Amino acid sequence: MKIHFYGRLADSFGPDIDFSIAESCSVDDLRMRLAAEHPDAASLLGPPVRACVGDMMVAGDYVVNPNDSVEFLPPVSGG
Amino acid sequence: MTNAIVRLEPACLDPALELDQLLRTVAGAGAIVSFVGLARALGKNGLPVERLVLEHHPQRTLHSLQTIAQDGADRFAVSHVRVVHRCGEVAPHAPIVFVAAASIHRREAFQAADYLMDRLKTDAEFWKREDHSDGSTWIEPTETDYADRNRWG
Repeated sequence: MKIHFYGRLADSFGPDIDFSIAESCSVDDLRMRLAAEHPDAASLLGPPVRACVGDMMVAGDYVVNPNDSVEFLPPVSGG
Repeated sequence: MTNAIVRLEPACLDPALELDQLLRTVAGAGAIVSFVGLARALGKNGLPVERLVLEHHPQRTLHSLQTIAQDGADRFAVSHVRVVHRCGEVAPHAPIVFVAAASIHRREAFQAADYLMDRLKTDAEFWKREDHSDGSTWIEPTETDYADRNRWG
């Protein structure tokens, strides 16, 4: 799956990564897998960071598929 | 029905042109209040800023600006609202945002412009970064920014 990170998250994970999941999983599970692969940045993926699929914000129990594109958005800065 | 114009500008924002265009369309209005936000030359850490970077989401950022503009239009008796916001790299002293509201009497235009800026400072979906000679700093809204927004209820 394609994962895009915004803001300060991109400093740690890179703006875009290809991340492989064998089968569908929840967004919360995806966060845990990402944290396991990036332990130094794990704290950045906490609840203030929102997940977005198809321009819609999704909750932690939302199920993503191996071919989905997921975005992680940290709290906004405002204008 | 309020006329609302909302744009995201990746390259250049000309406040004089924005105001001129608004002036040409506000027949019947008795007041226009406009605000221009500029990129500061010194960052929050006191160091000179080489550039301000406004990262945006390809759909959500413009939608957030439209929502804020519509909320302002719904809340105040204004005939026109204009919100133009830069994205991408912004040089120090360059305009970041232009906000204007037109109304029959001045009070509503002042209030609407004030409200729009308070909302933009906290709710516009940007991720702002100040680049300095020795590194970068991500910017988040301050407690004052949140207090300013919350005074509108």
